[in-house]
This record gives sequence, structure tokens and C-alpha cells, in this order.
Amino acid sequence: MAPLLRVNGLSKRFGEIVVADAVSFKLARGECLGVIGPNGAGKSSLLNLIVGLVTADGGSIMLDGAEITGLPPHRRARMGLGRAFQIPQPFPHLSVYENALVAASYGAGLHGEAASSWTMEVLQRTGLEAKADKLAGALPLIDRKRLEFAKALASKPALILLDEIAAGLTEPEVERLVAIIRTVKADHAIIWIEHIPHALRAVSDRILVLNFGRKVLEGPPADVMDSAVVREIYMGLKADGVA
Amino acid sequence: MPTRTILAASGLVLAAVIAGAPFVLNEGILRLATECLLLLTMAQMWNLLAGYAGLVSLGHQVFIAFGAYALFLTSGWLEVTPIWVLPVAPVVAAVVAAIIAVPLFRLREAYFSIAMWVFAEIIGAFTMKSQAVGGTSGLPLPTSKLIDFDWFEPTMFWLAGALTLGTIAALYKLMISSFGLGLMSVRDNDLAAMSVGVDVRHNRFVAFVLSAAGCGLAGALSFMGNLYIAPLAAFDVNWSVYMMFIVIIGGIGTLEGPILGVIIFFGLRELMTGPLGLSGGWYLVGLGVIAVIVMMVAPRGIWPALRDRLGIRLLDVQRTSPRPAVVLPSASQQIAG
Repeated sequence: MAPLLRVNGLSKRFGEIVVADAVSFKLARGECLGVIGPNGAGKSSLLNLIVGLVTADGGSIMLDGAEITGLPPHRRARMGLGRAFQIPQPFPHLSVYENALVAASYGAGLHGEAASSWTMEVLQRTGLEAKADKLAGALPLIDRKRLEFAKALASKPALILLDEIAAGLTEPEVERLVAIIRTVKADHAIIWIEHIPHALRAVSDRILVLNFGRKVLEGPPADVMDSAVVREIYMGLKADGVA
Repeated sequence: MPTRTILAASGLVLAAVIAGAPFVLNEGILRLATECLLLLTMAQMWNLLAGYAGLVSLGHQVFIAFGAYALFLTSGWLEVTPIWVLPVAPVVAAVVAAIIAVPLFRLREAYFSIAMWVFAEIIGAFTMKSQAVGGTSGLPLPTSKLIDFDWFEPTMFWLAGALTLGTIAALYKLMISSFGLGLMSVRDNDLAAMSVGVDVRHNRFVAFVLSAAGCGLAGALSFMGNLYIAPLAAFDVNWSVYMMFIVIIGGIGTLEGPILGVIIFFGLRELMTGPLGLSGGWYLVGLGVIAVIVMMVAPRGIWPALRDRLGIRLLDVQRTSPRPAVVLPSASQQIAG
């Protein structure tokens, strides 16, 4: 099967700081790629490059056989990229329902009845149905994280990009979120940046390790987590959150 | 929908009040009311751009001036009653906006605001130098002899009333449409909006052109009421300052805010220059003090604070989620079991 996403030699630097150094990888539908690396390794920058919030200096990004490297973010979103931000980015003065409806209307291109019923389905799947008419700005953290995921899902993406969606949540909340992510895995490709190894292990098929913008390692979760390279990079950082 | 019915009914009542008002009110009050309505329209237009598209313009007077000059000149060339050439005003303002959007949209935040102001000043300076449009001394309305002065003030009031009601109705329709949902998403968070497929630049462009067109029409009406136009009045930066003041104290990014803002704006002016007998300068000081207090106490304006505290909704544009009308199968099974 041809990969859904093909990233080839992706590079970006801000002055002296290299955030992406010839990064290449492939991802198929139904696959989840975990991304780890120390702070400042270029994980969020990689997502920004893929969704188009940052334009690449070099390399290419192909989605479903189409080159998207130079397209603006809204075009990429309509072509099938859904992103959940590390710091939740709700539309605070719109209701939860309206938040997801924006994604269903613009990202998925749905109208009227189709848009509203799809939006409700997404809210049901993300456990936000009961809060549909609440203002997004008034939600607690767990629900803002869920809403990030709901917005990404409502745009009917082929590829979902999750940026530390489990960070800052309690252990039971992380488990609930992982359960939700599992339900969508079969028919989406997922790239998931996370610092919580057991959450990542539970869902990922492969893990990619970034350091100084460079791909250091890519492989099955167990191999990567136990590798000497990862232990070295994370030395001193590995004390917390390890299962 | 009941809310929509209530709004439609209120619209009809307001239309009837506006239709009947000239037969009850004297000319002075009528003129003041016309001024209020036109400034309300302008403030709504400024709010469409600043509140919904995130572009703060300090040069909106340029669209007022373009609209007004377009009306005066076209009416002179065609030698027809100015009312019939009113549609020229919004068209000219919209075309100007569409053209200047190309360079201006490269600028963000404060740079855009200042560039708009500079653009307005440049066009103002050209106008003063150009004798074809009357130079510094301006132009009288060339076809004023065609106006029936017995009906002039009432007609102006009716036009201003129709424009205001039409603007608010149109903005309401816009906000409950899916384009409006996109505008509100950009208002709230442009980064998130583009990430779910909203074309932020296109939204800004549409808001900018519509906003210019509305100000062009309101500006044309305003100077038509004066029967005279001069560049210092038309290109006065105070137009933008008043619009901004009304929107910010009333409530930016809401349709009700500018209405409340206009009431405070004119209420304060009439109170201070009338019963209190203070000079015009004190009135501006009063406005400034109110603006500062509102920005500190309720940064999003008075209307949103009132709405959240009292739970009142006037021009409610929120979409409610569709609740399942039937009992879910699982629930009914539980009841049966």
C-alpha cells in the first residue's frame, strides 16, 4: 500500500537554530507514528512544517500522492490534515458545538444537516456531547484537550497530528484519552508527539526520535525505548512519568 | 424559530417607528437622530472589520470621504437628485478597498492600522491639492436645487434608518451563515481557524470590502445631509476615533455592542453640552475617561459584561446543538429491561 504521508528531506532553520535537518519518513493509513525527543528537538516544528504554519527551506511533503509543501495551512486542512495543538486553541466565545462545527464546515466541507449531525457524532465520540452548548472558553483542561481532538477529527482528516495532547492530565484522564485515540486509529494515520512513554507505547506502531532537528532513530516502540541512543538523550530527563 | 420571529417582529416595529418619527419629532431632534443612525452604521462596519476580522483601521475616514466625494461628483455630472446616485458611493468605496487590500494585507497588527491612517492622509492631501474636486475649500452639493427641502430632513432620517436597520439585519444574517461562523472563528483565534480549513485571508478581504462599502454609503448620506463637503471634515481621523470608541466601549465583536456604544456616545455628548453646559472639549475628556474605565473594568466592552451577568441575549447568533429528538435505543432498552 502506498503511504499516505511521505516526508522527504524536510529542512528548516531559524538563523543558527536548525529545527529540521533533512527529516524523512513515511506513514500509512491505520498507522500511528510516535515522536519523541528532548525539549527543543524540533518536534512541534515538525508538525508546524507539515500543517504549513511554517514553510520549509527544503524537502517535500506529499499527502496521498499530492505535493503540499508550499500550500497555505487552510488548504492543507481541507486536504485532510487535522491538528491538535499542544496548548489548546479553542474558539473561546463559541460553544463546544460551534467549535467542532467550524472544522466540519470548513475542514470537511459539510453543510447544513450533514455538518450538524457529523459534528454531534464527533462530540459523542470525544465525550463532549453533554457540554455541546457550553462556551469553549469555560472548559476545564481535560475538556479543552478533548475539544482539540474533536476539532481535528471533525475536519474529516486522513492524517491526525497530536501535539502532547496527554500532557498535564491525570493518569485516569490519560487513559480515557488513549481509549478515544484508539477508536479512530484504524481509519486514520496519526503522528503523536508525547512525553508519556506508556501512552505512546499503547498506540504507536513506530517511534521516531528527534534531536537537534535530526532524525536519530525510527523503529518499533519497544526497541526504540530501550535503545542506548534514547537512554543517552533522555539521561537526567527520564526520571518522571516512566511506566 | 421563535427567536427569529421575535427579531423579525422587532424589526418591523422599529421600521414603523422610523417611518412615523418625522411626523412627531422636530427638525433638530430628527437631525440628531440621523447623525446617530449614520454613526451607528459606520461603527457596525468598523466592528465587522476589527471585531470579526481582527483588523483595526485608523483610516476608515478614507472610505467615508470616497463615498461622499463620489456622490457629490457623480450627482454633478449626471445632474440628477443625489438620492438616485447613492449606490455609487458604496461601489466606489468597495473598489478602493479591494485595490488597497493588496499592499495593506501584507502588514499586520499596528502596521496595518498605521498604514491605513497614512493612506487616508495621503488621499486627503491629494484632494486638497486637486482643484477638480474643490481643493481645500471643498464642494457644495451641485444638485441641491433638485432637492425638495420640505421633505429633506425626514427623507435623510428615513434613509439613515433604513440603512441602519438594513445593516444590522444583513450583519445578523451574515453571522448566522456558515461564512459568519468562519468570521467568528477568526475573531476568536485565527491560528486555530486556519488549522481547521478557514481561509483567514479571504475572510479578512471580504470583511474589509464590505466594511468599506458600508462606510462609503453612510459617509455619502452624512455629507449629503450637510449639502457641502470639505476635505478637512471628510478626511478627519475623528471618524475612525468615534467608530473605535463606540465599538470598544459597547462591545467589540458583538452586534449589540455598537448600538449600546452609540447610545452612550450621544447620550454623554447631549448631557454634557446640554444640561451640564460644558464646552465641547470637556465632552471629549469625558469620552476618554469612560473609554479608559471600560477598558480596565470590562476589556471586551459593556455589552458582553452585561450579557454574561444578566444572561440576556438580544441578537443571538449562537448555534445550538441539535439534540436527538427520540430516546436513544440503548436508553429505551434499559427502560424495557
